[in-house]
Amino acid sequence: MSVRVDSAFKEQLKAFGKGDWNECFHCGNCSAICPLTENGFLFPRKGIRAIQMGLKDKLASYVDPWLCYYCGECTETCPRDANPGELMMTLRRYLTSVYDWTGLSGRLYRSFTAHLAVMIILFISVITAFLVFADFTIPLSDQGMVSINSFAPHGLISTLDHFLLGTLSFFLLTNMLNMFVQVIIKDKSVRVPFYMYFIEVWGAIFHFLTQARFSKCEKKRLYWFSHLFLMSSYVIMFVMIIFFLAWFQTDEVHPWWHPQRLLGYYVTAGLILGSTYFMIGRYRKNREMFRFSHHSDWIFLILLFLLALTGILIHIFRINHLPMAAYISYMFHLAVEVPMVVTFVAFSKWSHLAYRPLGLFFANLKKAAREKQYRIQLAPTT
Amino acid sequence: MNNEFRTGVYFCRHLNGQQEPMQVDELAGFIRDMPEVTVIWYPSDLRLDDPAQVISQIKEKGINRLIIAGDRPGFVKSLFSRIMIAAGQSAADVVVVSFREHNASGRADTGLARAVLTCAILDVPFELAALPADQPVNPNTLVIGGGIAGIQASLEIANAGKKVFLVERTGTIGGHMAMFDKTFPTLDCAACILTPKMVEAGQHPMIDLMTFCEVSSVTGVPGNYTVRILRKARRVNLATCIGCGLCAEKCPAKAPSEFDNGTTLRTAIYIPFPQAVPNKYLIDADSCTYVLKGKCGVCVKFCPVNGCINLDEKDQEVEITVGNIIVATGFKTFDPLRAEQFGYGKYPNVVTSLEFERLVNAAGPTGGMIRFRSEDKKGNRIFSPESDEPKSFALIHCVGSRDENYNKYCSRVCCMYSLKLAHLVKEKIPEAQVFEYYIDMRAFGKGYEEFSERIKEEGVQIIRGRTAKVTEKDGHLLVRSEEIYEERILEQKVDMVILAVGLEPTEDSGTLGKMLGLKTGADGWFTEANYLTDPVGTFTGGIAIAGVCQGPKDIPDTVAQASAAASRVLQSIIREKIRGSISNMKPEEIIKNAREISQLKINI
Repeated sequence: MSVRVDSAFKEQLKAFGKGDWNECFHCGNCSAICPLTENGFLFPRKGIRAIQMGLKDKLASYVDPWLCYYCGECTETCPRDANPGELMMTLRRYLTSVYDWTGLSGRLYRSFTAHLAVMIILFISVITAFLVFADFTIPLSDQGMVSINSFAPHGLISTLDHFLLGTLSFFLLTNMLNMFVQVIIKDKSVRVPFYMYFIEVWGAIFHFLTQARFSKCEKKRLYWFSHLFLMSSYVIMFVMIIFFLAWFQTDEVHPWWHPQRLLGYYVTAGLILGSTYFMIGRYRKNREMFRFSHHSDWIFLILLFLLALTGILIHIFRINHLPMAAYISYMFHLAVEVPMVVTFVAFSKWSHLAYRPLGLFFANLKKAAREKQYRIQLAPTT
Repeated sequence: MNNEFRTGVYFCRHLNGQQEPMQVDELAGFIRDMPEVTVIWYPSDLRLDDPAQVISQIKEKGINRLIIAGDRPGFVKSLFSRIMIAAGQSAADVVVVSFREHNASGRADTGLARAVLTCAILDVPFELAALPADQPVNPNTLVIGGGIAGIQASLEIANAGKKVFLVERTGTIGGHMAMFDKTFPTLDCAACILTPKMVEAGQHPMIDLMTFCEVSSVTGVPGNYTVRILRKARRVNLATCIGCGLCAEKCPAKAPSEFDNGTTLRTAIYIPFPQAVPNKYLIDADSCTYVLKGKCGVCVKFCPVNGCINLDEKDQEVEITVGNIIVATGFKTFDPLRAEQFGYGKYPNVVTSLEFERLVNAAGPTGGMIRFRSEDKKGNRIFSPESDEPKSFALIHCVGSRDENYNKYCSRVCCMYSLKLAHLVKEKIPEAQVFEYYIDMRAFGKGYEEFSERIKEEGVQIIRGRTAKVTEKDGHLLVRSEEIYEERILEQKVDMVILAVGLEPTEDSGTLGKMLGLKTGADGWFTEANYLTDPVGTFTGGIAIAGVCQGPKDIPDTVAQASAAASRVLQSIIREKIRGSISNMKPEEIIKNAREISQLKINI
């Protein structure tokens, strides 16, 4: 099969992040120093090779970036200062845009202005909707509670949530399907037997929940923990809002030991501490993986932080019986949440929540299938 | 100069990594008022990816002579030549002005760059305008450094009948080459080639050998330098020592041997190696019990010559006058402790190439048998013949070279000496497994490629891929790398790892350079007057450089450069006149000369 070479590809990739791929002289140091590489999945060097050669189609089926957790050891020891670690990050952003068939992802990644514009439009729309439809003058209830559910009934909000979820799920799922086509179907070198999908899926779920591979990166324990804490907080919050909003959003203030409040505290702590840790890191550039920041990284962290902050404000105003302030905080809470979810879940950074376990799943599938093919080749023919 | 010339000056983008780069604006401002300059272009003015636009600009201004100025203007010369032809002009009228060629790359060199540019605009060769005045010359020569370069240069001059002072820091001449076992690509015994030269230098009536000495100051002008030399206390009289070795037999103090690279121990009174020149003993003040504690004197008691050993001798300073100086200070090897991923210092059987040279040498610590490194009773890591024989070896190329974290440059010799070491291993242990890990194989010299092919045929496994790290597992060393051609991770168990350490300038080359007015490049090597056409000269008159101190090179190149430096010196001695320093010429002076010369040309 002939291979298409796109000589302009190197330039196109620059919008997705920094990595000095022209510097590389292919000594193989990065692949060999990485604790996560194994035969068949040699990164980052092979990816750099494909970029230097302009093999755009080959890169589209390249699953390796999702296996890298950016510990930065390759960049630290690279004899050419080619930043292979950041290159993998760049490729993750690029691949996100490849999987996204709407083309929106590429636009958001390539242009800070576009991303900001979309966010501002959504932010203003939410605020306007509240100002038009919501009643900010609802007083305290008879029990002296703030009537969040009269201001924004959980039934209505969760209907809207479900609508949003449905739309975004459609995009994310079709993108995931696209990833499946790019990585598995288009790769003719390996055929995956159907039953293997059921065997390998458990490993992917296990790694999604524990991020155990992450901890293989040496000396990066705090980073791993912060990431896990942040990610679990967000997932819990997501599940709460989408499926249990009626239980989660109540006017009654439960005692502090109530599971609803405890979960709320866990989520808030995770979001605040996690996003602060990453923001400080990215500001100080004190670790290899924080040295280069794309605009999507900053927007993501700032929104996460604001989300948690407005959540805290709602809570404070509710227990202090200040209806007006609580309503305004609630409005801003949603005005931050909606742009964040819309732009990031299916089209930008947040989609790695889906692509990473999926990438691992596909990689394991390929590995198992290759091993099987190899065994068949070796088996005696009689 | 032809008055019909309409000259355009194009400034290339400045590429070098100087902290304070050349101020192109200043330069442009200076030449803007010159009547000879019609137009000045910056990179932003001309779009080189759109030649049609450049051609139309040239036609519009009527340019028929184009000067490309910058660091590496040669890159765009061919493009501009074609553009000029397309514009109906001659390609011969494209003039390239490289500031880098004249070592004018930083902001401080703007004056020099101005002079270089003016010469080009006036069509006067820079060398003609920047010709320093001649001075009388003292026929004596100082050679600093007693390695192969210093020995070769000294012999060339001395054989022409001129006096040479050969100053060497250690107790013997010979340098690094004396430590090597074999040379590539001919596999000659290094000592067999070097020792006759050393002896010749030691006995030559025109060579004044000053071992265990260091240059402490240099004053004067080209052709007449006064050099103060520190004669370190040897504590053994060179004239009366008969080299019997009784003193060393009885000496109680021990220290790691410099000559064997610390892989074995020597006594405090010692001879660097059996073939040392001069073949006389000396005392190492850092380990001698008498010097440290004030009592011992065993050597004095046993010395058969009365008054030969004087333990209380002090350092002296001597002063000599010379006309020329040749700097041949050589190199030091990269310290692999800086690159901890290779495990040097942590695992005893990770050794440097220089240590391994001593290990395979028949006169080395094990008598030429390849052995594991062991520890003696006092915990010194040494090579001893009693240890076992390793059976598998990994040679790692480019340790400390071609690496942005250490040295960017290629050390030029490591590929070849690694191949040579692989051969030596195979020669001593035919069943040994030898793996070589390289990035690019640089076999560039005469017979080198053939040598490399020969080693491959001997069964050495040559693997393309830089080693990422060396770890220990089950008593073996585990070498992890990517095999680039096979696209797989390779974890190879070996018994011994040999690090092909690169070459670095000596620690005090900066001090010496300052003393002599030599420039050093970003890498620390001494800068030659012109890389292509004057690789032995410097910007200071009467001072030549030879050997690795100018940049990494192998023995044949070193010897050639040493001979070239000697011929440069002899030239001035025979002419009885020496050219002054280019570095002392002021840019204004050069520009004035250039104007005068260009006036003469018009009159013709």
